[in-house]
Amino acid sequence: MTDDKDVLRDVWFGRIPTCFTLYQDEITEREAEPYYLLLPRVSYLTLVTDKVKKHFQKVMRQEDISEIWFEYEGTPLKWHYPIGLLFDLLASSSALPWNITVHFKSFPEKDLLHCPSKDAIEAHFMSCVKEADALKHKSQVINEMQKKDHKQLWMGLQNDGEKKNQVMIHGIEPMLETPLQWLSEHLSYPDNFLHISIIPQPTD
Amino acid sequence: MEEDEFFGEKTFQHCCAEFIRHSQQIGDGWEWRTLKDCSEGYMCKTHFQIKPETLMSHSGTSACVQTCLPIEEALELPLDDSEVTETTTGSQVIKYEYHVLYSCSYQVPVLYFRASFLDGRPLALKDIWEGIHECYKTRLLQEPWDTITQQEHPILGQPFFVLHPCKTDEFMTPVLKNSQKINRSVNYITSWLSVVGPVVGLNLPLSYARAASEDENVHQ
Repeated sequence: MTDDKDVLRDVWFGRIPTCFTLYQDEITEREAEPYYLLLPRVSYLTLVTDKVKKHFQKVMRQEDISEIWFEYEGTPLKWHYPIGLLFDLLASSSALPWNITVHFKSFPEKDLLHCPSKDAIEAHFMSCVKEADALKHKSQVINEMQKKDHKQLWMGLQNDGEKKNQVMIHGIEPMLETPLQWLSEHLSYPDNFLHISIIPQPTD
Repeated sequence: MEEDEFFGEKTFQHCCAEFIRHSQQIGDGWEWRTLKDCSEGYMCKTHFQIKPETLMSHSGTSACVQTCLPIEEALELPLDDSEVTETTTGSQVIKYEYHVLYSCSYQVPVLYFRASFLDGRPLALKDIWEGIHECYKTRLLQEPWDTITQQEHPILGQPFFVLHPCKTDEFMTPVLKNSQKINRSVNYITSWLSVVGPVVGLNLPLSYARAASEDENVHQ
């Protein structure tokens, strides 16, 4: 059991070193220095970036500031996904620190949910917990997935036709033999979902 | 449907197929969409409505006036200047998209929708809220889970507004139980959509209900 406790601790305290840079087209009164932060894997961007927001707003005028949003290499970052999941999906094969660009203009309405307040983050989180609860207790759904279906799903995630995929949870590539039950108990996020990243293997 | 039979994805797809069949007969515009290489799909419909600009900034008159009108009705509406605080600046055409998806977490259908102006600018939650009939607003405000929130569309990955599905089971169960009692089948989707649709401006012609009971006769 000691091994498992280590897993739990590493998951809950996992951090990602991140460098926040202001988007070059934002209007500033003086140069904005990048801001460095260790982001908790199990939290959400809009919940842990108050300091980032304050840091950049210090060099901007109020009228040039609207809703903050984040982007990595051109992809708007969905604040409603756990931070660790975003990193695994988009940046796990890149060198650290994770370089995130900060925007205060041109909110991408077609891609991102608005985050009007801290209450909205809490509401989203509670909604996930509630949904996980509903799903876990629908025994018919779970029972219908036979053992062989589990294995097939796992194999399928790994191999997408000719291409091979990388399977990642909390930055870890679990072995194929790991029971889904164990994964669910030890690697679930606080929202009670087991978020699995499927990343196309980069072709060498 | 049997008493304890849960509303599974296959049943969902079957009910949608029946629903769409009738929609095609009456030209109601619903269609089925799937993603490539995916067995999952959803039902969707797009329609356009005129939103008179003045009514978007009305004073606190408590008249239960629906602020979105189908195009045909809007052209005949006489504007009563005494009820608005601004003069007519022009009307806006709003594009509404309604999507019906299956939630395997809650095992019920869920209504996703979004609205935008013709130039692509999306309507914000507060604009959507303004378009909802007063009598529904009270209900939505009372129940924290019976409300409209912005969520990610499970298949398209884009922001949509959603009516939370956790209470669906609660109001659908009596409908299903009653249909068994009087030995008359219902189409789950038809019944469900006739309840939740009007809250967000989506109305179902009565012929859907007649079609649902006709299906029963055909299959006997």
